[in-house]
Amino acid sequence: MLEAIDLTKRYEDGELALDGLTFKVEPGEIFCMFGANGAGKTTAINLFLNFIPATSGTALIEGIDVAKDPLKAKRHVSFVSENVMLYGNFTAVQNLDYFSRLAGKRTLKKKDYAEVLDRVGLQKEAFDRRVKNFSKGMRQKLGIAIALVKDAPNVLLDEPTSGLDPQSGREFLEILVQMRDKGKSVFMSTHDIFRAKLIADRIGFMRRGRLVMMKTAMELAHEDLTDLYIQYMEEQPAQPSAALSA
Amino acid sequence: MLRDIIKKEILDNITSPKFVFTFLLCTILILLSVYTGVTNYRAEKKEHTASLALNKKNMESQPNFSSLAGIGVKVSKPPQVLGTVVNGIEEAVGRVAPVNIVADPNLVDSKYSSNPVFAVFGPLDLMFIVKIVLSLFAILFTYDAIVGEKEKGTLKLALSNEVPRDRLILGKAIGGYISLLLPLLIPLVLSLIILLITPDISLGGEDWGRLLLIFLMFFLYLSVFFSLGLFVSARTSRSSTSFLVLLFIWVVFVMVIPKVAVITAGQIRPIPSVHEITAKKDAFLQQIQTESQKGYLDWVQKNRTDAQKDPKAFEEKFRQFLQNYQQEMTSKIDENNSAIERDYQQRKRAQQNLAINMSRISPASALTFGSMTLAKTGVNDFDRFLASVRAYKPIYTKWINSKLAQSINFQTGEQPKISLDDMPQHTIEPEWLSRSLVRTIPDFALLAVMIIVFFVGAYVSFLRYDVR
Repeated sequence: MLEAIDLTKRYEDGELALDGLTFKVEPGEIFCMFGANGAGKTTAINLFLNFIPATSGTALIEGIDVAKDPLKAKRHVSFVSENVMLYGNFTAVQNLDYFSRLAGKRTLKKKDYAEVLDRVGLQKEAFDRRVKNFSKGMRQKLGIAIALVKDAPNVLLDEPTSGLDPQSGREFLEILVQMRDKGKSVFMSTHDIFRAKLIADRIGFMRRGRLVMMKTAMELAHEDLTDLYIQYMEEQPAQPSAALSA
Repeated sequence: MLRDIIKKEILDNITSPKFVFTFLLCTILILLSVYTGVTNYRAEKKEHTASLALNKKNMESQPNFSSLAGIGVKVSKPPQVLGTVVNGIEEAVGRVAPVNIVADPNLVDSKYSSNPVFAVFGPLDLMFIVKIVLSLFAILFTYDAIVGEKEKGTLKLALSNEVPRDRLILGKAIGGYISLLLPLLIPLVLSLIILLITPDISLGGEDWGRLLLIFLMFFLYLSVFFSLGLFVSARTSRSSTSFLVLLFIWVVFVMVIPKVAVITAGQIRPIPSVHEITAKKDAFLQQIQTESQKGYLDWVQKNRTDAQKDPKAFEEKFRQFLQNYQQEMTSKIDENNSAIERDYQQRKRAQQNLAINMSRISPASALTFGSMTLAKTGVNDFDRFLASVRAYKPIYTKWINSKLAQSINFQTGEQPKISLDDMPQHTIEPEWLSRSLVRTIPDFALLAVMIIVFFVGAYVSFLRYDVR
C-alpha cells in the first residue's frame, strides 16, 4: 500500500512543489494522477523514492515511513520512469540482470529474463541486442520488465506510456491490469487520459502541487474525461486534499 | 551487491568504444615509449663506454704533462638504466664534465645542445605518457561516472532499489578504477618483459624496487585524476559541464602550475645568470694569471745568483717553487670559484626548492619530481654528480701540478712520457634506494592526500547528490 499524508515540498528557491498532498493506493488498485507539467506528480514520486526530502508530511510504503527507513521502504516498491536510457552497451538481458540483482533477485536465470521480456512484448531477437540500438518504445518495455522482475507489492510509474506505440500501449495496460489482479498497488502519473480511463480504479487531478479532484472509476463511467481534464487544469480554487481523501 | 556494481561498472566500461580506444592507444604509446627508452639507453651506454675509452686514449696520447694539463680530463656520467622509463633531465643537461686546472667543471654536450630540435618536444618516455595521456584517460573514464548515469536515468532506477548510496559510489569507484587499469596493465607487463629480455639492460634488485615504486607513483597519479573525475562528476548536473571543468583543472594542474611555479620562484628568489658567474670566475682567473706571472719573475729575479752558483740546486729549488706556487695559484682559483659556486648553488637551491614546493600543488609536479628521484634522472642527481666532479677537481689539479713540476727538465727541455697509472679517479657515492625513498615521501604523501580529499569529496557529494 502507498500512502501520502499531508505531503508538502518547498524547494530552496521558495517554490511550493507539493502542498499537503494526501492519498492512499490500496492493494489491487490502480491510481492514475493527472496534472500539467510542473503540477507536482513527479515530485510526489520522488518523495516516495526518497530522492528528495519532504518539507513536511509523510510518505508511506507498506506502512514504512520513507524518510525514516528509505532502504527498507524501497524493498517494497518498483519504479518505472519516463525515458530511461539504461546501459547502452549492455544487452536487454544484461540490463535486466543488473537491475534484478540490485533488487535482490540473484537466482534468476536467462530463461526467467526471457519470460519477462516476452511478457512486456519485446521481440526475441532484441533480447541479446545492445540497448543503444533500441527505440524509445523498446527501452520503455525493458524498463517495465525491470519493474516486473522486482515483483514488489507497490509500483510507481512516472509517465510510462510516453513513447509507446498503440500496440505496446495496449500490452502495457494489460500488464498493469495483471499487476492489479495480483494485488499490487499501482500509482501512475500520466497525461494519457484515454489509456488511464481504461484501467484506473481512481483518478486524481493535481494543480500547483495540490490534489484538486479525485474520482473513482464508477464516478467517471459517464463522464467525458477530456472535458474533465481541461476543466480541472484551468485555474480554479483548489479543494482541500484532506477532504478529498476522506 | 557491491560485487554486482563493480562487475557492471567494469562490463559497462570494457564494452564501450572508449575502452578499446584507450587500450589500443595505451599499448602503442607505452610500448613505443619503452622501445625509445631502451634504444636511447643502449646508444647512450655505448656512447659512454666509447667516450671513456676515447678520453683515456686521448690522454695517453699526449706527449707530456703540459699538454695533458691543457686538455684536462673528461668525467662522464653513466646513463641510468631507469632512464628508459623516466628520462628526466638526462637529455636536457649534458653528461660530460671537463676537468682542468683553470676552468670550473660544468656539464656539457647535452643532446639538446647537439640537436636543438629534441628540446622542442621533449622525450617520449613512460612518465610523459602517464602524466599527459593517461591522466586524460582517467578523466575520460570518470567525467560522466555519476552525472552520466543521472542523464541516462539509470541512477534513479538503481536508487529506487534497496541500494545504499555509499555502496554505489564505492562500487563505481572500484569498478571504474579496475577498468582504467586494465588497458594499462597489459602494455606495462609487456614493457617489463622488454626490459628483461633486452641485452645491455641489466636491472639489479634495487632497480626493480625503484621501478615498482615508480609504477606505484604512476598508479597514485592516475588515482588522483580518477578521484577528481568522480568528485567533479558528483558535483555537476550535466556531463558536458563535468568534462569542461575537468579539462580546465587538468590544464591548470599539468600545464600551468608547474610553469608558473618556476617563473614565480625566479621572481621571488632571483639568482645571477650563468654568464655573470662565468664572468666573475674569468675576471679572477685573469687576475691570478697576471699575479702568477709576476710571481715567477720575482722569484727568478730573487734567485738568479743561486742559478749561477749551483745550477743543480737551483733546478731543484725552482722545481719545488713551481710545484708549490702553481698549487697555491690553482688553490686560490679553486677557492674563489668554490666560494662563488657555493653562493650560487645555495641561491639556486633555494630557488629550486621554492619552485618545487610551490609546484607540488599540482599532482603532475609531484609525479615528475618523485619519479625522477626514483629513476635517478632528476635535478638532484645531476647536482650530486656535478658536486662530485667539483670535489674531484682539486684532487686532479694537485696531481697534475705535481706531475708538471716533476717533469721539467732544465738541461734538455724534454719532458718524460706521461703515465696515468697513479692518476686519481673520479668516484661518486651511489644514492641508495632508502635515501631516494625519503626524498620522495612528500610526493607520495601529496598524491595520497589528493586522492583522499577528492574521493571523500566525491563520496560526500554523492550522498547528497540530486539524482532527479
